[in-house]
Amino acid sequence: MSQLFRKTLILASMAVLAMVQSPRADSLDDFKNLSGKLDIAGGTAHIPVMKAAAQDIMRANPKIRITVAAGGSGVGVQKVGEGLVQIGNTGRALKEKEIAKYGLVSFPFAIDGVAVAVNPDNPVTSLTKAQIKDVFAGKVTNWRELGGHDAPISLYVREDGSGTRETFETRALDKASSTDKANVVNSNGAMKTAIAKDANAIGYVGIGHLDASIRGVAIDGQKPTQEGAASGAYPVTRLLYMNTKGQPQGLTKAFIEYIFSEKGKVLISKAGYIPYAKK
Amino acid sequence: MPRSNFLTENIPQETAGPWLWLGTVLAMLGVFCLCVMIVVAALPAFFSHSHSPFEWVWQPNQGHFGILPMCVGTLLLSFSSLALGFPWALAIAVWHLTEEASAFAHAKTAVGALIRFLTTIPTVVLSFAAVFLLTPFLRLHIGGTGFCLLGASLMVSLLILPTMILVLESGLKGKLEALCPYGLALGFSRYDLLRYCVLPQSVRTLTQAAVLGFGRALGDTLLPLMLAGNAPHVPTRVNESMRTLSAHMALVTANEVGGSAYNSLFAAGLFLLGTSVVVTLILRRLARTDTSPERP
Amino acid sequence: MHAMFPPTLRVWLLRLAPLLLLLIVLGLLFFLVQKGHSALSLNLLFGDTPPLMAVLGQAAVWNGLWPACAGTLYLVLLTLLLALFPGLCCGIYLAEYANRRSALGIGLAMDILAGTPSIVMGLFGFTLIVFLRRTFCPSANTSLLLSAACLALLVLPNIVSNTREALAAIPRELRITALALGLGKNAMIRHILLPQAVHGIAAGVVLALARAAEDTAVIMLTGAVANSGLPAGLLDRFEALPFSIYYTAAEYQNADELASGFGAALILLALSALLVFLAHLLERRFLQRSRGYHATGHLC
Repeated sequence: MSQLFRKTLILASMAVLAMVQSPRADSLDDFKNLSGKLDIAGGTAHIPVMKAAAQDIMRANPKIRITVAAGGSGVGVQKVGEGLVQIGNTGRALKEKEIAKYGLVSFPFAIDGVAVAVNPDNPVTSLTKAQIKDVFAGKVTNWRELGGHDAPISLYVREDGSGTRETFETRALDKASSTDKANVVNSNGAMKTAIAKDANAIGYVGIGHLDASIRGVAIDGQKPTQEGAASGAYPVTRLLYMNTKGQPQGLTKAFIEYIFSEKGKVLISKAGYIPYAKK
Repeated sequence: MPRSNFLTENIPQETAGPWLWLGTVLAMLGVFCLCVMIVVAALPAFFSHSHSPFEWVWQPNQGHFGILPMCVGTLLLSFSSLALGFPWALAIAVWHLTEEASAFAHAKTAVGALIRFLTTIPTVVLSFAAVFLLTPFLRLHIGGTGFCLLGASLMVSLLILPTMILVLESGLKGKLEALCPYGLALGFSRYDLLRYCVLPQSVRTLTQAAVLGFGRALGDTLLPLMLAGNAPHVPTRVNESMRTLSAHMALVTANEVGGSAYNSLFAAGLFLLGTSVVVTLILRRLARTDTSPERP
Repeated sequence: MHAMFPPTLRVWLLRLAPLLLLLIVLGLLFFLVQKGHSALSLNLLFGDTPPLMAVLGQAAVWNGLWPACAGTLYLVLLTLLLALFPGLCCGIYLAEYANRRSALGIGLAMDILAGTPSIVMGLFGFTLIVFLRRTFCPSANTSLLLSAACLALLVLPNIVSNTREALAAIPRELRITALALGLGKNAMIRHILLPQAVHGIAAGVVLALARAAEDTAVIMLTGAVANSGLPAGLLDRFEALPFSIYYTAAEYQNADELASGFGAALILLALSALLVFLAHLLERRFLQRSRGYHATGHLC
């Protein structure tokens, strides 16, 4: 039931976004005459989309080989800058000095929201921004102060340099750092496991990772949903970028265009993100 | 092991063939490269004045790149794992060598196989399972979040257990078996012989087991990464989150390449390598001062 | 200790230690099987590709662990290929030729290597590639070859020390006989000692393989990727089982993916258990053979 609901919402939001995009032919045809190797690395949030697209393309044309490596946003920038890979993904906008140093070109392709998440058994469903700031600064340490049970708060954050952490600290904490007493986990999955198993947990994950095992918390009354993120009503959002060194050519170009095609958009929605129209 | 006996002194001495040389040189070259590269890469961190890795705060966005809390964390975890694991390993080794009840004959074989099996469990599997089993258990019983020093050191002690047991057994067994014919005839039990005759003479074996276990605990990455919580501060209680150097390296390499954070990584690598070299040297010193008979 | 515990209590306290271990390991296994058995099927390995086609390399596998299994297999074999020659040579040299000083030096180097944490080894590999790119070889990249080379360095001490021990354990009578028959030293090593020690050496090699198969920290930094299909060549990136497990634990999106992670854990566990069992068999054969010369045996 909720699955159906979510799908409808995603499709609706896709339709809105798709209007600005000029229709393209089914772009798997573009790969017909291509061959060779394409290496992709960087942000972990991108991997489901990249993996699915890579599989579609390699299925259509076995002469093409695409590898998708994990890592993080920082690795994405460095690897593409050094020429170790052709596409480096980041979960944040490139910094001025990164663009200047390596001559990178960015392609934002999806919108992702970052949701504050708690255990489903936690009665707290909504927090103000000020409360969230206090919690992550380590000033509020008991759920009672937030209207929950009398239990200590277990704080989970992502590692330094993670795009998710950067987005969360910029948009939700107004650039404050979180306390160094917090547990650090290094992926959305690890965050989910931690929160799902810990009744007193609070942390943050990409909205696409919200499921029955953890529950998103509304910030200032705004529920963390994909359509809220798309419309801008939900404040903690980011863009997911593909970056190339100079303008993309050949296979790299075709791959990026595939991500922006109708099929690519389906893949993006399936991974739990909102497709972002190419400018 | 150079044996000075008539065999090595009186046979026609031939030198090693060229292939043998080549292989040995290759191996040495690898070790040399490893050491040089880590040391050279760590140098910038030592000479950088603005972002020294030798401070107590890790806050990259405020320009603090201190790895000292992680150094302390690494040592804490290694020592506490050793404190948990060593008595356990010793007890198992002693049991395995001295159990006399025939009802336990099968259990002895089974435990032998179990220890071998334990050496095979990949750490990634161990940590994957522990996140789901041990962490919630600890959260319930000792408070905190469950991702803590105690959880990590319990699993690390399990990890280093087989190494230590194998070293202990191979070191103690020979001496015990040599004493057995006379000792048993005099009416001592195997346990008495082990406890009062063999163990006091086997300080070297005990230390060797401890040092090897310590070395293994020092370098393990995935267990602390997935179980210790990774908060970059010095824990004051066992249920607090902490970060080891190895986990720190895994976390940083995932996101940063270049810059002060990256440089501090090599300082961390050098610290780990340095500690392990010191441990090795201690081990060698012990081996050299050994006076106990090698074989019966 | 005697005074502290009456003997019966002491005996039972000692029995408690292995019992505890047994319970923990059984609990762990039970948990893994319980979580992973539902995912264990040909589907887990091959996705929707026909298994035979996949094994023969005729069809690519999507959504399956087969590429990761194959990647681990290639990685382990390549590691073996790289580590065997220097490892054996170094071990033989140490056991038979080295004088006291060089034995001390080489032994120290091996000890340092043995004590190197695998994450440091991974960092070394990554630095090496960045260094090569900036200097001699701008097209160098993280790859299967690099991972295997780093792993080879990681397992080298195992092979060296096992070779050394196996040679040292050969009964002296055999050496005396060989020399008395007029064999030179090199000939004796080649034709008498090595064949005699081969099972002992092989046991060490297999243990090294098990170590190479399970290591995650090294390949994480030197070329393992989340998705690549079957490894295409030495200079290509690859998938590997331990990395798949790590990656699944990190990025799973639903319960099915998590179950497949447990499935992968079971497969990897079975694989390394098999390797160690093999090593055990080889070792026993070695012991039996060399014990043949000690016909007297021990009294108790």
